[in-house]
Amino acid sequence: MIEFHSVSKQYSADATALSDVSLNIEKGELVYLAGPSGAGKSTLMKMIAAIERPSSGRVIVFGQDIGKLKKPGIPFLRRKLGLIFQHQRLLNDRNILANTMLPLLVAGAPKGGAEQRARAALDKVGLLERAKAHPLELSGGEQQRVAIARAIVNRPQIILADEPTANLDRVAADKVLDALRAFHSVGVTCLISTHDEQVLDGAARVIRLEHGQLVGGAL
Amino acid sequence: MSPWLRQHRFAFAAAMSTVRKAPGSFLFNVLVVALALALPFAGITLLDNVRPMSEQLSVDPEVSLFFQPGATREQAQSVEPQLRQILQGSHARIVFVPREQALDDLKERSGLSAALDTLGENPLPDSYVMKLDGFSSAADAARIDSIVERMGALPMVDTVQVDSSWVKRLAALLGILRLALLLLALTLGVVVIAVVFNTIRLQVLTQREEIAVSKLLGATDNFIHRPFYYTGALLGLCAGAVALGAVTLALHPLNGAIAEFARLYASEFQLAPLAPLEVAGLLALSAGLGLMGALLSVQRHLARMR
Repeated sequence: MIEFHSVSKQYSADATALSDVSLNIEKGELVYLAGPSGAGKSTLMKMIAAIERPSSGRVIVFGQDIGKLKKPGIPFLRRKLGLIFQHQRLLNDRNILANTMLPLLVAGAPKGGAEQRARAALDKVGLLERAKAHPLELSGGEQQRVAIARAIVNRPQIILADEPTANLDRVAADKVLDALRAFHSVGVTCLISTHDEQVLDGAARVIRLEHGQLVGGAL
Repeated sequence: MSPWLRQHRFAFAAAMSTVRKAPGSFLFNVLVVALALALPFAGITLLDNVRPMSEQLSVDPEVSLFFQPGATREQAQSVEPQLRQILQGSHARIVFVPREQALDDLKERSGLSAALDTLGENPLPDSYVMKLDGFSSAADAARIDSIVERMGALPMVDTVQVDSSWVKRLAALLGILRLALLLLALTLGVVVIAVVFNTIRLQVLTQREEIAVSKLLGATDNFIHRPFYYTGALLGLCAGAVALGAVTLALHPLNGAIAEFARLYASEFQLAPLAPLEVAGLLALSAGLGLMGALLSVQRHLARMR
């Protein structure tokens, strides 16, 4: 489902984010991407969502070569992905229901249907009763769960979670991870990046990156 | 509802939501754009009212030849063959106006019948009125001068008068006014585009995070651009409506002053508001200018964000 073939990414002559990375993630896998800050985890995730393009090598997602993907095709690729960011990136000028509905409205779904599905997504992360609250009224953990609801509302085939527990306490982090594992259990492919070794306890597959190079876990 | 229509409805709702969030700012921008639009709209209204009046006036020269008071009817009528000779090659209609008919016409048109009766004898001379066709260029004007000169040299002729020159001057003046209005409209159109451009630029900056998040969630460029286009068009449309409303309201006090002036010339001339079709056209033009400003701004600033 996700393939990296000798992928390198250089931002400038002396700033190499990824170097000759090759890996393969199958449909339905739950994969952790581990490594210290600056290891290239975010760059790798951004390439899957076509936020960044490889300097060399090939990134294949859903059979499409991201390097060759034309600009008009990018939104349609992203609609098949659920993106979760370290800093949630919720819109503070609207309530969490509206935030959760956004991917559906962007894809042209009718408002009524979008609201129904957004409520269902919020229910799955345990925040339905707070649907009318604004992001700033929520704790960091709750905000991250809203971000998860927003990521899964479109029923994506792949969830990409970039350091979803980075700013959370252990209890909140566990709730976020539990939610992600729940979606994986119903067949969604999940790629979760983290620099927190505790998160990796019991992980079936961990891909390790250091200084932009794979040091373990690639198949 | 089709997805295309739904997307447009969503974009319109997003534009309205932006307006609702900062109504003061939107209103201020509407007023600035309305000020720029009001001047050409007032000019269009004025020209629209004056044009039919000028079109009714004949631009073809009308030459009037008056005999001296002592000239007899025979002397006056004997000049006609010479007039035809002078006008040879021109399409002209020559009408002899006997002094009696001239007096009757004057009485009828001026309403001064009683006053003229007190004069005792008819003070008006016999005359000829000649309507000339096909005189419009500068060369034709020179020909008329020559014709007038030759007619003035005929025996017993007192005065030869060309009646069309002021009409031509009015037509030329209206032409200049029309050109000036066009240039003014073009300049102010650029002002409108610049104001909308800047308004949308600020909105793009304000909504930078929303745009970035929407793109990450799979929004197409069209989805992101459309609300700004609607905001620009809405701004232009509202400004156009305010400008037209202001011009229409201004007609009332203006017409009061014009009525007094027109009465001096026994006229009932009044400035009328523009016809509904013209109003619709100007509103569409205003919305179009707003849309153009938004288009330019969005293309430029969102390209920079990319």
